[in-house]
Amino acid sequence: MTMRRPYQITGIVLLLLAGFVAVESLRLRYYTSLGPGPGFFPFWLSVILGGLAVVMLLQAGLGRPDPMPADFFASRGGYLRMGAVVAAMVATTLVLEPLGFCLTMLAVYLFLLLTLGRQRALVVALVALGGSFGVYHLFVRWLHVPLPRGLLSW
Amino acid sequence: MDTFGLLMGGFATALQPTNLLYAVVGCVLGTLVGVLPGVGPAAGTAILIPITVALDPTGAIIMLAAIYYGAMYGGTITSVLINVPGEAASAVTCLDGYQMAKRGRAGPALAVAAIGSFIGGTVATMGLVLLALPLTRFALRFGPPEFFGLMVVGLSLVTGLAGRSLVRALVSAILGLLLAQIGIDPVMGAPRFTFGQMELLDGFGIVPVVMGLFGIGEILMNAEARAVQVFDTKVSSLVLTKQDIKDSAMPVARGTGIGFFLGLIPGVGAIVPTFLSYAVEKKASKTPERFGTGMIEGVAGPETANNAYANAALIPLFTLGIPGSPTTAILMGALMMNGLVPGPGLFKEHPQFVWAVIASFYIGNLILLILNLPFIPVWVAVLKIPYSILLTLVLGFCVVGAYSLSNSVFDIGAMLAFGILGYLFKKLDIPTAPLVLTLVLGPLMERGLRQSLEMSRGDFSIFFSRPLSAMLLAIAALVIVTSTFRALAPVRGADSQI
Repeated sequence: MTMRRPYQITGIVLLLLAGFVAVESLRLRYYTSLGPGPGFFPFWLSVILGGLAVVMLLQAGLGRPDPMPADFFASRGGYLRMGAVVAAMVATTLVLEPLGFCLTMLAVYLFLLLTLGRQRALVVALVALGGSFGVYHLFVRWLHVPLPRGLLSW
Repeated sequence: MDTFGLLMGGFATALQPTNLLYAVVGCVLGTLVGVLPGVGPAAGTAILIPITVALDPTGAIIMLAAIYYGAMYGGTITSVLINVPGEAASAVTCLDGYQMAKRGRAGPALAVAAIGSFIGGTVATMGLVLLALPLTRFALRFGPPEFFGLMVVGLSLVTGLAGRSLVRALVSAILGLLLAQIGIDPVMGAPRFTFGQMELLDGFGIVPVVMGLFGIGEILMNAEARAVQVFDTKVSSLVLTKQDIKDSAMPVARGTGIGFFLGLIPGVGAIVPTFLSYAVEKKASKTPERFGTGMIEGVAGPETANNAYANAALIPLFTLGIPGSPTTAILMGALMMNGLVPGPGLFKEHPQFVWAVIASFYIGNLILLILNLPFIPVWVAVLKIPYSILLTLVLGFCVVGAYSLSNSVFDIGAMLAFGILGYLFKKLDIPTAPLVLTLVLGPLMERGLRQSLEMSRGDFSIFFSRPLSAMLLAIAALVIVTSTFRALAPVRGADSQI
């Protein structure tokens, strides 16, 4: 297994991105009477990115590809653990404001601690409570950094 | 007022009890995040920015600077004790530091690293004091074309961050510049690439981007691999023997020189001085074959170089406004959040602030030396916490950090998106540092370019007709050409470690 295919896919994604940015930047003013407009800089950056994407594609297609690292693809368990972290972050983004920091983080900590490792129930409870209510107390009461209180006003 | 008078004024401010407390807390927190494998100084500093939000600008930057060099030292502890570098610059310390620990000499390894870091950091700060005013006086002559040239030099140096592939480093740099385009256009005020989203009008903040790329990206990597902490090393006495002192003296001196001079050059990266110092010590040794088996010189030199570099890298940041590394880019972002733009104007407009921060560097280095040695058992205890718990706690701090900067869940979503991007970058061996540097420098460069062209009514020859601007652009061209040639030579190691 080599890195040829991953770099070919990356090159194509970058080329598409460059094309998208070029089209979007041409909708902005490219040049004004005083010099470059808002579209000037992004347009030329998209051109350079497109060029680099082509070079990457050529290197991947014509050059001698690097061997693929053994850990390039994770195990099923690895992807599940990663998925758990991503799901927890997405859920945090969605419910942090309506539910409040304490309840959201309590749920996130419990979920992640139970998913990512095997800990004693007391440890899980203490870390979850400290990471949610403890951190809230530290930031809101001591450091005066506002965090969402949520519907329950916590 | 002369430099000495300004510095004394700075000490008077930095030694105020509250500022002293901020420096102590910053050193402890910085070392703590440095100890956590995978977090590193860049993400660590970014994560801890919210703690400083409530402070006055001087206190906030004193604390963040202390976090910065605390984190640089923290990485050493894990390198020595568990053979896992907290950040890439400490990787070389694993070679002999861990071997010393295995032979029951973890104490002397950590002690020499702390003492070397103190000497290197203090000497580099002296350099900052001596060079600050001459450099800023010189830079105050800059108009927009010269400023543009300077920014191009800064950007050209990201090519120096390329490891095995210049193309991948440039892709990262261009992606950073493109990300910097999102938001209100800096000259005409037109929204760009916002797609009707109010949250994008200010563009992406440096903190969610860095926490995502470095912090969340690393958490995803560790979650995937189920990182398990194995710590079974005993820390012996921290006292250095006479032979240890004799063996370390010259490596510390050479490490200071290497770290200081490379720190002056933005874009070199913290890995280069440490590896260079290791190579120099091996070359200078009468028994080079014993390197890698627990030679104290292999710890003393690189660790000194690391901290000398970390402190010297603040010279181009403070005097010219060029961040040389992702962590200094975050410091730059933190300064800007406090209404302070790094560069020559900083010394002119806010002398009290800037000299207090410089004075705090001396104090911080001393605090770090005093605190680190007795605190080592605490860091050892931290390392015994199961990694799944550490990882979850770090994730929680990332959420607080991303949210609290602008009280918006949008930043948490952005941090997650950049975390996934950071994960993909690591898999594809694309360096993340160029993206962070160009994200910070991009808007400044664009403003310089467009203001210059407004001055010349669209005539590009303005950049070549002014000697200083032409010289800076020539330097940038030279750097790009030499980096391109260097990139043709094979380089070992992964780019994503940079």
